[in-house]
Amino acid sequence: MTHTHGTGAGRTAGPVAGGAEGSERHPEIDWVAAERSPEFRELIRRKKAFVIPATVFFLAWYFGFIILAGYAPDFMGETFITDGLTVGYALALTQFVMVWALGWLYLRKADRVFDPLAHDAAREAVHAERTATRRFDRDTGSTTATARGQDAAPADREVTNP
Amino acid sequence: MTWLIADVNTTALAVFAVVVGVTLVVTYFASKRVSTATDFWAAGRGLTGPQNGFAIAGDYMSAASFLGIAGLIFLFGFDGFLYSVGFLVAFLTVLFLLAERMRNSGKYTIADVLAFRLNERPARGAAALGTLSVVAFYLIAQMVGAGVLIEGLVGIDFWLSVVLTGAFMVIYIVAGGMLATSWVQIIKAFLLMTAAVVMTIWVLAKIGGNPLDLFRDARSKSAEGDAYLKPGLFLASPLDTVSLGLGLVLGTAGLPHILMRFFTVPNAKAARSSVMWAMVLIGAFYVMTTALGFGARAILGQGGEEAAGTTGNFALPLLADELGGDFFLAIIAGVAFATILAVVAGLVISASGAVAHDVWSNIVRHGRDSEKEEVWVAKLAAIGIGAIAIAIAMIGGEGLNVSFMVGLAFAVAASANFPALLLALTWRRFNTAGAITGVLFGTISSVALVIISPTVWPGPDSEGGALGWYDLANPGIISIPLGFIGCWLGTMLSRERVTDRSFDELYVRSETGLGAEAGTGLTLTGRSSEREREREPAAV
Repeated sequence: MTHTHGTGAGRTAGPVAGGAEGSERHPEIDWVAAERSPEFRELIRRKKAFVIPATVFFLAWYFGFIILAGYAPDFMGETFITDGLTVGYALALTQFVMVWALGWLYLRKADRVFDPLAHDAAREAVHAERTATRRFDRDTGSTTATARGQDAAPADREVTNP
Repeated sequence: MTWLIADVNTTALAVFAVVVGVTLVVTYFASKRVSTATDFWAAGRGLTGPQNGFAIAGDYMSAASFLGIAGLIFLFGFDGFLYSVGFLVAFLTVLFLLAERMRNSGKYTIADVLAFRLNERPARGAAALGTLSVVAFYLIAQMVGAGVLIEGLVGIDFWLSVVLTGAFMVIYIVAGGMLATSWVQIIKAFLLMTAAVVMTIWVLAKIGGNPLDLFRDARSKSAEGDAYLKPGLFLASPLDTVSLGLGLVLGTAGLPHILMRFFTVPNAKAARSSVMWAMVLIGAFYVMTTALGFGARAILGQGGEEAAGTTGNFALPLLADELGGDFFLAIIAGVAFATILAVVAGLVISASGAVAHDVWSNIVRHGRDSEKEEVWVAKLAAIGIGAIAIAIAMIGGEGLNVSFMVGLAFAVAASANFPALLLALTWRRFNTAGAITGVLFGTISSVALVIISPTVWPGPDSEGGALGWYDLANPGIISIPLGFIGCWLGTMLSRERVTDRSFDELYVRSETGLGAEAGTGLTLTGRSSEREREREPAAV
């Protein structure tokens, strides 16, 4: 466990009370442990397995098109299937299809795979925190203010000044 | 374009009045709801995915898309369409790399994401510099464009057009914050899509219903013949074409006013669905730009070239006039006006975030100011930025090189903002020095390379660039790698040690949404979840 950080940065965030802003709702979470949890690792693994190949593919398809447009204008100007339609225009239309198809695939994947995993990872982190806080002083909650102290201030205002 | 300035077009003025009237009514309703900083900058995070998708489309598609791309296609054929493709594919970068992460880790500005794990004040300073540079270049381009277009379409003076555009934009923001801005953008996207669909159908009907005739007729009406349907008429240098493509595809993911839109939805799911909606709308629109651009060529022919202006901006209004006469022209002018208003409002509200939330509240006041003060400063900043933009647009006048300014905005976004954001979210070792050097490298190299590009210096008609060997008009292919190298170099040279915890916290939060900012339940018609909101603090 690594709840050994000081309040750092010298920000006086005041008592972290949580609030409508929501950013302080889990001040005691052990983020290092959460990052190492099997649920989170699985989420990242599955996400990378989709996003990295998809990104490489769309960049390759797009830059292939752009490079052809730049360096092979005559090829792009050739007739494709029927007079009036050029290879360049047909390839440009495939870019539109690619964007919609990849977008739709990503959304489907996110709904079916990433979201449940993210939910598990978050639940696991909160669960771990509940067991951990019994062993640590509540003051450790203020450590989260180190990284984003400014968030604590408006959240605090929100509560004291509704 | 003298054909239009003969007199003030009263029909167009009436359409303008309707557009302004509707948006002001929306602003009035919004003004009664918006109270907190989250309401002001993030519309209470209460927009739905489809609503935000329309708003993104409205925020993104400027008059440069509506009139500019159609004009480029009209003048140069295929090359104009390259812009459409790049502007759309860019949203895959946004969807895969940033949309959900921004929603989960940010609050009001892109600086929030950097400040989350880096040394707060310098990181915010760097991000604010990137944001304000992009907004400055983009905003001035839009304001000058607005002045030129409204003067040409309606017949009121350039200076008055600029002042009116700036004034309405400031009213939306100061009175209704992001809630009003979002709805102005939604209304605009609806108007723009409707106008594009109507014109596309009209054009296709006029040429006989076969889309292929669009290309055949356009080709036969162009002096360039076969070359009109080939690349190379506008973008003659291959390397420049690739550089442009790179800048477009990565630049969108660094535009502060687009990224800010992801703070207006309740969660990551809504953020990604809003990108999908935006991709469908923007993609459909850009497919239609070919019907409009090639259609303008097929219907107006070579004769329209002079009236369309050197950038082709007036090709579409000319086409509207040809199709439906004065009344339809007035409608298209009104849509163009709504288009400009929605974009400039989005730009200025993101700049107000950088000034009030990043610079004032967190750098100057060390986060000790009240939320009320923060919103006040934001409104003052919006007024100030609006006034400066009006002044520069009026001083620079119609002669200001608009496409150069837009290119610069995209270059800085891609070279400064995008590398810093992406690395802050994904690279554990990244640190404050890296963010600062990255933003500086990206911004300075973009600006310097655009200044020495042949279109700017020695001048638009020059044969070579200032340096002789350097002849790229688009700096992306050099400045984007420089931005990434800056991030890497600064990180490696600095002795600053980043604790794992701050990265882990941002990493887990950005990927899972754990601890992400909650909304205030704000909608245009009232607070939907008053009770839920009161319950929130007690739930901790």
